[in-house]
Amino acid sequence: MKSMNKISLPGRLFDTINVLFLLLLVLTMVIPFINTLALAFSSNFASMQPGIVLWPKEFSLEGFSTVWNRMKLYLPFTNNVIVTVVGTLGHVFLSSMAGYVLIQKGLPGKKWMLTAILLTMMIPSEAIMIPLYIVNQDLGLLNTLSSLILSGFVSGFSVILMRNFFLSVPYEMSESARIDGAGDPRIFFTMYLPLASAGLATVTLFEFVSRWNQFTPAVLYINDSSKYTLQIALKSLIVDTDSTSSNFMITTNVRMAGIVIALLPLIIIYPYVQKYFVKGMFVGANKE
Amino acid sequence: MKAVFKYKTLYFMMLPILAYFLIFSFYPLARGLAISFQDYRLIGDRPFIGFDNYLRVLKDPVFWEVFQNTIVIGAGGFIINFFLPLILALSLNEVASAWFKKMTQMIVYLPHLFSWVVVGGMWILLLSPDTGIVNQIIQLFGGQSVGFLSSDRYARTVMILTSGWKEMGYTCIMYLAAIVNINPSLYEAASMDGASRWQKVRYVTVPMLRSTMKVVIMLNVLGILRLFDQIFVMSNGAIAKKVDVIMMYTYQKGILEFSVGPATAAGFLVILATFTLTYVTRAVIRYDEG
Repeated sequence: MKSMNKISLPGRLFDTINVLFLLLLVLTMVIPFINTLALAFSSNFASMQPGIVLWPKEFSLEGFSTVWNRMKLYLPFTNNVIVTVVGTLGHVFLSSMAGYVLIQKGLPGKKWMLTAILLTMMIPSEAIMIPLYIVNQDLGLLNTLSSLILSGFVSGFSVILMRNFFLSVPYEMSESARIDGAGDPRIFFTMYLPLASAGLATVTLFEFVSRWNQFTPAVLYINDSSKYTLQIALKSLIVDTDSTSSNFMITTNVRMAGIVIALLPLIIIYPYVQKYFVKGMFVGANKE
Repeated sequence: MKAVFKYKTLYFMMLPILAYFLIFSFYPLARGLAISFQDYRLIGDRPFIGFDNYLRVLKDPVFWEVFQNTIVIGAGGFIINFFLPLILALSLNEVASAWFKKMTQMIVYLPHLFSWVVVGGMWILLLSPDTGIVNQIIQLFGGQSVGFLSSDRYARTVMILTSGWKEMGYTCIMYLAAIVNINPSLYEAASMDGASRWQKVRYVTVPMLRSTMKVVIMLNVLGILRLFDQIFVMSNGAIAKKVDVIMMYTYQKGILEFSVGPATAAGFLVILATFTLTYVTRAVIRYDEG
C-alpha cells in the first residue's frame, strides 16, 4: 500500500504543516501544565514576579509546605481519599450487583426495573439540586462525608455498563452452576465478578476519577470546613479572594502547589485510564 | 407469587439499588415537582400556589440574563467542542508516525481528567493580568496586558475556549476510535478510483463518522443546560452578569437566598428544556439522515 504512494511535493508539504499544527496544539496543552509545575516549585517571592516561567525560579518547596502544613491541606486531602475510596468501592459493588440481577432470564419485573434505571439517567442531577439538598437535610446528612459518599452511590450508566459486560459471559455456565447447587450470591462473586474484571476495572477507574473531582455535591452539602474535600478547599484557596485576608498572603506558588497536589493521584493512574475509558464509552453506549 | 419467592435472593440483591434510586432520584424529582408549586417556607404550612413560582422566575429579569448567557456560552462551547475534536482527529489520522500520534493523543486528553476547580484555577492564574503567562506572552510581542477574567468583553470567550481546551481530547478519542473501525477496503476502493488523500477524507472518513458525530452532538446539547462547575469556579463579581448560567441562578436562589420555590421551579424549567432539546435534536439529526 505505502510503496504505491508516490511522495509528491504537495503531499510532503501537507504532512509538514499538519505536524506543525499538531505540535502547536500540543504546546498549548503542555505549556499551562509546565507553567503550573514550575511556579509551584518556585520560591514565594519569585512566583509573584512577572515573567514567562517554564522552569522553577529559585527552586523551593515553600509552596508545598505552606499549603500542606500551614494551610492544612492534608485535612481535605484525607477527606477526599475517604470519600473517593469508600464511594468508589460501594459504587462498583452495587452497580455490578444490579448488573448481575438484570441479566437473569425470566425474572419477573426485570423489564420494569431496567426501565426505571434508564429513566434515572435522563434526569440531570443539577436540575434537581434543591430537592436533593432538602432530602439530604431531612436525612440529617448535611455536613457529613456520608452525604458525599452516598451522592451517586449507584448510577444508571455503571449498571448498564456492568450489565453489558455480564451479558458477554456465557449464560449456560451459571445455569450449570445452579444445577450443582450454587446460589446467586456465590455465582455472582465467584463466576461473574472475576470474568468481568475488565468491566470492573473500567467502572472503578471511571468512578475513581469522577469521585476525586466531585464538586457540586460538596459545594451543596458541606459548610463545615473540617469536612471540606480537596476540590472545595482548592476553590477557596485559588478563587475566593477573601481567603487572602488572613494574616499571611497566599502567593502564587502556594496556589499552584495546591493544584499540583490535586493533580497527582490522577496522573498516577492516567496510563490505565485512557484505555479503559474508550472501552467503557462503547460498551456503555450500547443499551440494546 | 411462587415465582417471586423463587427469585427472592435476586430481589434481595436488588433492594439496596432500588432503595437508592427511590430516595435519591425519584423522590427528589417528585418532591421537587411538588415544591415548585408550593410557597415553600422553612416553618409553618406550605400552601400550593399554582404556577406562581414559575411566573416569578419567568418575570425575573435576572433569569433572562442567565438564560441568554447559557445560550451564548452553551452555543459557543457546542460549536468549538464539535469542530475542534473533529479537525484534530482527522489531522491526527494523517500522521504516519505512530509514537507522535499516540503522544499527541495522550497529552490532548489530559485536561479532561481534571476537575473544573483544577483547570479553572489554573487558567485564572495563567490569565492573571500581572503575572499570568498569557499576558507575559502578549507583552513580549508588544501588546497591552488584558484582564481576561475581569472585563466582560472577554469573559464569555474565555469560558468557551477553556471548555474547548478541556474537552477537546475526550471527544477526539471518540472520533479516533470510530476511524479505526472504518473498513480498510473502503479506502482501497477509493484508491483504485484514483482518490487523492483529501478526497478520501472528504468522501470516506467524514461520512463514516456520521453516527459518532450524532453521539457528540447529543452529548454536547445536553451539556449546555447542565453548565455549572466551570462557571461556579471561574465567575466573579466583575463578569457575573455576562457569564452566570441557569444552574448558578438555581444555586444562588435556592441555597444562598433560601427562595426554594422559585429555585426549584427554575430547575424544572431546565428539565423541561432538556426534554425539549433532546426531542428537537433527535428530530433534526434524523432529518439529516434521510
